[in-house]
Amino acid sequence: MQKYILYAAAFLVLVLLQIFLLDNISLGLYFHPLIYTAFIIMLPLDLEHVWVMLLSTLMGLMIDLLTGMGGLNVVASTAIGFMRPMLLNTAVGHNTATDDTMPALHRLQAKNLVWYIILMVLAHSVIYFLLETMSLSNIHHTLLRLVVSDVVSVVMIWYLVKLFTEKIFIK
Amino acid sequence: MYKLIEFIRRIYVVLLFILIEAIALNYYAHSSFYTRAKILAHANSLTGAFQQSIFSLRHYFTLRSENEMLAARVAELENTLSFYRERETQQQTDTLTMVAMDSTLLASMSQYRYMTARVISNTVNSTQNFITINRGRQHGVMGDMAVVTPDGAMVGSVVECSERYSVVMPVLHTSFRTSGKIAGDEHFGSISWDGTSPHRVQMSELTKYSDFEIGAEVVSSGLSHIFPEGIRIGYVEERTENENHTSFDVEIRLAADMTRLSNVILIENTSYNEISELENSERLKTL
Repeated sequence: MQKYILYAAAFLVLVLLQIFLLDNISLGLYFHPLIYTAFIIMLPLDLEHVWVMLLSTLMGLMIDLLTGMGGLNVVASTAIGFMRPMLLNTAVGHNTATDDTMPALHRLQAKNLVWYIILMVLAHSVIYFLLETMSLSNIHHTLLRLVVSDVVSVVMIWYLVKLFTEKIFIK
Repeated sequence: MYKLIEFIRRIYVVLLFILIEAIALNYYAHSSFYTRAKILAHANSLTGAFQQSIFSLRHYFTLRSENEMLAARVAELENTLSFYRERETQQQTDTLTMVAMDSTLLASMSQYRYMTARVISNTVNSTQNFITINRGRQHGVMGDMAVVTPDGAMVGSVVECSERYSVVMPVLHTSFRTSGKIAGDEHFGSISWDGTSPHRVQMSELTKYSDFEIGAEVVSSGLSHIFPEGIRIGYVEERTENENHTSFDVEIRLAADMTRLSNVILIENTSYNEISELENSERLKTL
């Protein structure tokens, strides 16, 4: 029960952070970190695939409604919700993820966790930025946006995940 | 039958994924800037108060530069005012024919109405940016009102209003279009944004007969009816001939700093409805 409340709180906090803080930082076109994906990243690793995907859709829908992006966030976050098991396996390797009786984020090695975050953020932002510009004509611009925003996102999500799993969960 | 159910049970996540993505992509592909602004206007009636408090915090950091700008603007208006005062006294002494002109007549003659507003949310990190301001329908804001900075540089135009808030499509939206010209020259071109730098917009289809220097001021042409003629857009930074060598493509440095907007002025063209009604009349369509 407590777990559900914690996740609901994380959902809310991430939405608020994204909409009211990050989207209000006007550092230009290249600075567009999307940190709400942290929610999808830190969902329990043993949660059923379909629930991961549906919760990702819900997160995307929430952001879309509040920013008026018209479905873009739903597309990108549902996609990484769907791809999560595969990306997790790629980052962690089969053995660690499946052999453990109850896999959990805080049991992942730091290296594996970082890879997992990078893969998730990258998959999300590639879909997001390409669909947003809808063209390949300014591809170098899009790539630069992707790199700058992703570096910021990964660092921020890393700290958020650390905070969530270590400070709150283990208590 | 059993096999079919078993098969569906195995791949229903994939099916669900395809379904959600199909709906979302379809919606995204068919949504225009207008439908997005509409959603945003609805969301703002929920989140507006919160957005506003955050932005008023930010507002403190720009107060200083804004004060200086306003002081300069006041000085400029004082100058204009004194010019008209002088004219008025001159006319009063010169002739008595102007006596009949009362204030109501003067008010009905002015085509534009002005209103101030505070920006409560503004993004520049997307190719489809929107600005939210704290004035809505109950303050008399309507769609297609022009939005400019306090020192008179173009920001954008209102797309959608709720009761207390409005959503503005800024120059920094790839669907934004208006018509501009070089100050002091009657040739006009089409202004749009390529979605790259938040400090630059582009003007295309400017005829080659137009004669101007780098650094020349670019202003609104008044042809779009939304913006009054002569609203400053920016300054020419670079010009190139297009591939057919028939017209200029001009790179414009924006006069308004879109990354730090906090107060804006709304301009309503009181004749807008009449003009657009006339232009969209049935008779013209049949020609």
